[in-house]
Amino acid sequence: MFLRIVADSFGRRPRHKLLTGAALALGMGVATAALSVSLDVGDRLAKEFRSLGANLLVTPQADSLPLEIGGVDYRPVNAGAYLPEADLPKLKTIFWHNNIIGFSPVLEVPIEAWSPASKSSLTSAVVGNSSLIGTWAQHKVTIPDGTTYVTGVRETNPWWDVKGQWFGEDSLQCVVGVNLSKRIGAKIGDDLNVSSGGHTKWVTLKVVGVLSSGGSEDDAVVVPISVAQQIAGKPGEYRKLYVSALTKPEDAFAKRDPKSMSADEFERWSCSPYVSSIAHSIKQVLPGADVRVIRRVAEGEGAILTRVRMLLWLVTGAALLAAALAVGASSAASVIERRTEIGLMKALGAASGTVGFLLAAEQLLLAFVGGGIGYALGIVLARLVGEKIFGAAPEPSLMVFFVIIALAAGVTILGSALPLRRASRYEPALILRGE
Amino acid sequence: MTSSRATNRAMFWRIIRRLFGANPGRLFVMLLALGAGAAVTAALLNLQVDAKRRLTTEFRAFGANVIVLPKHASLSGSETLPESTIPSVPRNLGNAPVTMTASLHVIATVLSPQSGKSLSAVVAGKNPRLIGWVAPANATSLAPLGSPAIPAGPICMVGGRIGEQLRVEQGSSITLSNGDQKETCVAAGLGESGGPEDDQIVTDVRAAQRLAGLPGRISLIELTVPGSPGEIQSYIADLQHRLPDVDVRPIRQFTEGEAKIYNRISGLLTATVGIVLVLTGLCVMAAMTNVAMERKMDVGLMKAIGGSMRRVLRLFLAEAALLGLAGGIIGAAAGIFLSIGLGKAVFGVAARPRLIVYPVTVAITIIVAIISAFPLRRLASIRPASVFRGEA
Repeated sequence: MFLRIVADSFGRRPRHKLLTGAALALGMGVATAALSVSLDVGDRLAKEFRSLGANLLVTPQADSLPLEIGGVDYRPVNAGAYLPEADLPKLKTIFWHNNIIGFSPVLEVPIEAWSPASKSSLTSAVVGNSSLIGTWAQHKVTIPDGTTYVTGVRETNPWWDVKGQWFGEDSLQCVVGVNLSKRIGAKIGDDLNVSSGGHTKWVTLKVVGVLSSGGSEDDAVVVPISVAQQIAGKPGEYRKLYVSALTKPEDAFAKRDPKSMSADEFERWSCSPYVSSIAHSIKQVLPGADVRVIRRVAEGEGAILTRVRMLLWLVTGAALLAAALAVGASSAASVIERRTEIGLMKALGAASGTVGFLLAAEQLLLAFVGGGIGYALGIVLARLVGEKIFGAAPEPSLMVFFVIIALAAGVTILGSALPLRRASRYEPALILRGE
Repeated sequence: MTSSRATNRAMFWRIIRRLFGANPGRLFVMLLALGAGAAVTAALLNLQVDAKRRLTTEFRAFGANVIVLPKHASLSGSETLPESTIPSVPRNLGNAPVTMTASLHVIATVLSPQSGKSLSAVVAGKNPRLIGWVAPANATSLAPLGSPAIPAGPICMVGGRIGEQLRVEQGSSITLSNGDQKETCVAAGLGESGGPEDDQIVTDVRAAQRLAGLPGRISLIELTVPGSPGEIQSYIADLQHRLPDVDVRPIRQFTEGEAKIYNRISGLLTATVGIVLVLTGLCVMAAMTNVAMERKMDVGLMKAIGGSMRRVLRLFLAEAALLGLAGGIIGAAAGIFLSIGLGKAVFGVAARPRLIVYPVTVAITIIVAIISAFPLRRLASIRPASVFRGEA
């Protein structure tokens, strides 16, 4: 009998149920879309922030102080310490290897560069003092577990813009900074002679691209690191390593000194991808290295990420609130309008509890159907937003589904509870007489 | 004729009053749905405009994004700018101030008389009032100012790594020398920043000028320009136009990265807010239509006593518009508080209310309410008798 009454109610007033259901589905669609986007957005935005480049800098521990002005190191080649390039594949073996987006070692050598193609090649005006930056453009790293991984300055310095193409690894090719290329008249396809002392011994490189970076690299020659090592006489060594890693914004806990933590706290700290804990684990695989956090990048990123995340959560909260109120209002309306029916049921001897139970069952049924449709609708919308903005859709999450269904049920029950309570106090006779 | 029109109008409003009074429960429900929609619309519209502006301020956490250099600056770094360049840099972009740091770099020998160690390091002379980058909190708390045991004199901020190598303590004095020039100052710690400051000593620009023998010259000016990517571009173009003798460059690492992130975040915000608004409108509409469909009895009765469908519909549309107005005003008022709360929670500053948002919200609410009442048109074909007999 119970089921029959419920089925009858749906069959008799299909348009009503459809409208209440539609309100529910739309409301829950808002909730799903907002919830999925804000759950997903943290990781996606963290990736976007990697367009700022490296957030960790590795230097030799025993290094002398760099004499760096405007991004150019004025130390001679034989001053300071170096680190072995052979250790680098170990970076992909640390606990946080999936968070490491890219890394590139750098070896800088002060040089003189001239272009044999330009006519007055050996006059001093054409010979440019410059620096040679040896690094990886797209280097294949063989990780100890046998897989390979391609990384280089494209990941760590994504704002570098190369006209032409990057040099091939281990070849005698180079990319010339835009200012230097104007100064010495070296164009793509030209040869370029570089020498690290005197004009008697030089290496001839083929210019394959022109680099513009907005920084000191605009006055430099960028070459494969093996070429720089050969010119500097430092085979297999590098001076600086830039690492770009996905991190979690640092909170008060992350800023504590790991030495003062208890064993439990230390475990929690090293199992969160804070930039400082990633620095700590890199230090363990690179002996003799000093790993520093580039605070300017890391802290700015953390602050903005925290803000944006909070902003989206609050927008989600506001959306949930509006959806809940509208859905609640809709279900309240559907109960209010059924006074006559409630009166009739009570007149036929139904207890208030039974009537309430019956109506609640109806509403719940509607909530599940509407919530389910709303979830599907919301997922489609979240996909659209995700693909349009980040080029990747958020994964549908089961947790969101349960939250949405629970929310739909809770909101409809709450919305109908008040009118139902009032309905239970109705005098059937008054209602049926139409008073 | 006029009197009958007046009577008509009086009757019209009387019916409207009765319609509102007839069922307080229903009235409450409708106002709740409309008000909730309006509140969220007002708050989100307000926040959306405000958040984009605030985000550009947040980006200043990255520090300087524009740099002014001598023209054709070569690698030797020997070219300098006259100090007179500084006043010609505009200090405001819109309402937001442009932060500026002018500095002169010189390589000097640093000696710590206490530990007896010395090394070569880059000394950056900056105007202390203009130092733009943020020194870590411990630098100021450990600074020796005001402590009587400390010799008076100029202060220099010692980069974390120099401090380590020289074994300099807070408050001990260090000597900077370049050729015959000598400067003494009191060391204050800087901590580690991961940037070039770690390997530098920052001191007063005058001291650095004396050390370098370059009075009145500076190496570069760093600017922290707030604003959207487009505003920064036009600021750079304007500055370059004003100062043709220098080179104005964006620090592309930050300007480009910021532009990308800014576009993503503002796109995300617009999309989320758009979806939420559209769906909330539809949801309110569905709820309202549900209520409107219950008015069958009223429509039937009005038609039975001789109301034309046009007039009946006009009555209900007027009722809906009034409801929309009331709900919109209540919601917009709630939206003011909601957006103040949201702004405070996210940015620590209340979102500035934008007056245009509120009339727009009320108008949208009225439109939604009127559209929701339109399904009543379907009742035009209804025969009043069948309504009363309970058939329809």
